[in-house]
Amino acid sequence: MLYLAFRNLFRHKIRLLIAVGGISLALVLILALDAIVTGIEDQFTTYIDNSGADIFVAQEGIRNLHMVSSALPDSIVAQVKKVPGVEAVTPILYISTTLDTGKDSHLVYLIGLPPTATAGKPWRIAEGVAIPEAGQIVVDSDMAKRDNLKLGDTIKVFGQPFKIVGLSEKTANLLNAIAFISFADFAQLRGSTNTVSFVLTTVKSGQSAQTVAGQIEQQVPGVTALARSDFAGQERKVVIDMSADIINIMNLVGFLIGLTVMALTIYTATISLRTEYGLLKSVGAHNSHLYRVVLYQATANTLLGLALALLITFLLVLVVPFFSSRLTLEITFVSVLKVGLLSLVIAAISAVLPIRQIAKLDPAKVFSGGKV
Amino acid sequence: MTTDTPIKATDKQNLNSATLVVENLSKRYGAGTTEVIAVRDISLNVEPGEVVLIMGPSGSGKSTLLLMLGALLKPSSGSIQLNGKTISNLSEKKLPDIRLHKFGFVFQDFNLLSSLTALDNVALVAELAGLKHQEARQQAVTLLTKLGLEKRLDFLPEKLSGGEKQRVAVARALVNNPALILADEPTANLDSKNGHEIMRLLRDIAKEQKRSVIIVSHDQRIKDVADRVLWLEDGEFKEIAQMFTDPVCGMVVEQAKAVLLERNGKTLYFCSRGCLNEFNTDPASFSQS
Repeated sequence: MLYLAFRNLFRHKIRLLIAVGGISLALVLILALDAIVTGIEDQFTTYIDNSGADIFVAQEGIRNLHMVSSALPDSIVAQVKKVPGVEAVTPILYISTTLDTGKDSHLVYLIGLPPTATAGKPWRIAEGVAIPEAGQIVVDSDMAKRDNLKLGDTIKVFGQPFKIVGLSEKTANLLNAIAFISFADFAQLRGSTNTVSFVLTTVKSGQSAQTVAGQIEQQVPGVTALARSDFAGQERKVVIDMSADIINIMNLVGFLIGLTVMALTIYTATISLRTEYGLLKSVGAHNSHLYRVVLYQATANTLLGLALALLITFLLVLVVPFFSSRLTLEITFVSVLKVGLLSLVIAAISAVLPIRQIAKLDPAKVFSGGKV
Repeated sequence: MTTDTPIKATDKQNLNSATLVVENLSKRYGAGTTEVIAVRDISLNVEPGEVVLIMGPSGSGKSTLLLMLGALLKPSSGSIQLNGKTISNLSEKKLPDIRLHKFGFVFQDFNLLSSLTALDNVALVAELAGLKHQEARQQAVTLLTKLGLEKRLDFLPEKLSGGEKQRVAVARALVNNPALILADEPTANLDSKNGHEIMRLLRDIAKEQKRSVIIVSHDQRIKDVADRVLWLEDGEFKEIAQMFTDPVCGMVVEQAKAVLLERNGKTLYFCSRGCLNEFNTDPASFSQS
């Protein structure tokens, strides 16, 4: 029966092409969206991942960077430093704001860095310096390129001019970029002297970040301390929560398109072979034999569609960065597994109607040239 | 009740040796005033190796009878026994296995699976019956070779001639070693030569392999290969000796219902006054034909 299913499938190449093409495009919709969201998740945690900090200490209750405001008294910095297991601390100021280049305005995470920062500074510098001094700013190189900015140019933050002294790499994503100014400038602009947003903490060799974070929370009142991986996890969760509805809707759209294409294809394929199925019934094939043929065909169509969808998505992963440096796609095993399972569900559901048709076939009508 | 070979209680030995024993078989459609009796109280037995040809006009009940004999249609009453086992009262679930193992079907339109080669068409039915893939293919190769199709094994049906397609269909009918072969108008889509070859083939199979063959056909040309010719009309078997061919339209007509014409000391039988009138306009042309 498997053999018959495959021969039927490959005998009608145009139909196969339409079915596989249709299902693959539907699955690409799901896979590509997953890949984009995963890419965004990773980009969103890029600063955290590359900050060099083992622990992020924030105002109590603050567990991520995006769309939050954390304010701690600067006395906290010394308290954190005293906690056993802590190697070094870097206080930073942080806010989400816009940056005016004169040509455009850009949404940025603005970081205020102390001159002796051991963590939280740009991790890859294309040109210039990593830590800005008074009146200076380090911006993302892609953002600068888009607005034809170069070292020495001036841009405005909170209405104040800053001279570009450094161009950082990998510090922009689809939604925003990261810019760095000096801690003192940040404090002056915001009028928030004697406060810090986060204390980026490194632990001594051999120490567990989770353990030390727990000790910080015990010994320093009014703070939430999270190991870097936990802090990044919380950040990802925010992205996922923000995009969950969109992803679910697009997954549903992709699923419905795939299901429609497959259902139509398998249905028409079965209807066109009604007489042959009727013949098989007349010579003694059980309904279960014929159901298997339909299911094999639906599954094979869908798996071919899935394979093509994966290929297209992998190509998108490779090609998209050439057209948009801020957009990266990342395919995950979970996403492939989800789409694979979804494909099997599509195959199973699309086979239901044809199977019902086969069940109703009267094998007697094959006789005397009757059309079943 | 009309029967071709009435079964008597004393004819026990004959009954036991018969492949197929049909007793008082009827099929009714509808009920009350709309009731139609397609097959009416028919009895028949077919011996191993016997070729029975069932003829009759359209709507006479031939197809209904064949469907019942092939376990594709439940009779309204009566019984069908195949090799001593009653199959007419089996449940729907058991019928596919009976059809698969006990019957071989040959169809008017060949009904080969279009996407499978000649070999695969035959092997598939063997696989359905439980043979392993390789065994089924081997069996199919042997049969197709016997039927002279060894050079057509890998051909798709669309590449085969009508005669070749019907031989593949015959091989498919034989692959599960059935006791009875049921052929529905097997020569209808074949030319005279191929039609005759197929009939000879079915006859040889019956005689050499002791399989019973029942053929339903309109084709007058194949009467000579049958051991028995039965005439079915209005759901009943009629005496074949009382059937005559209309010289105008070629239709076989029952003596009692025919329009008669005495001419040159011979009696001519017409299906209708129309044919008789047509004959009278130019008798010579019909006499020559």
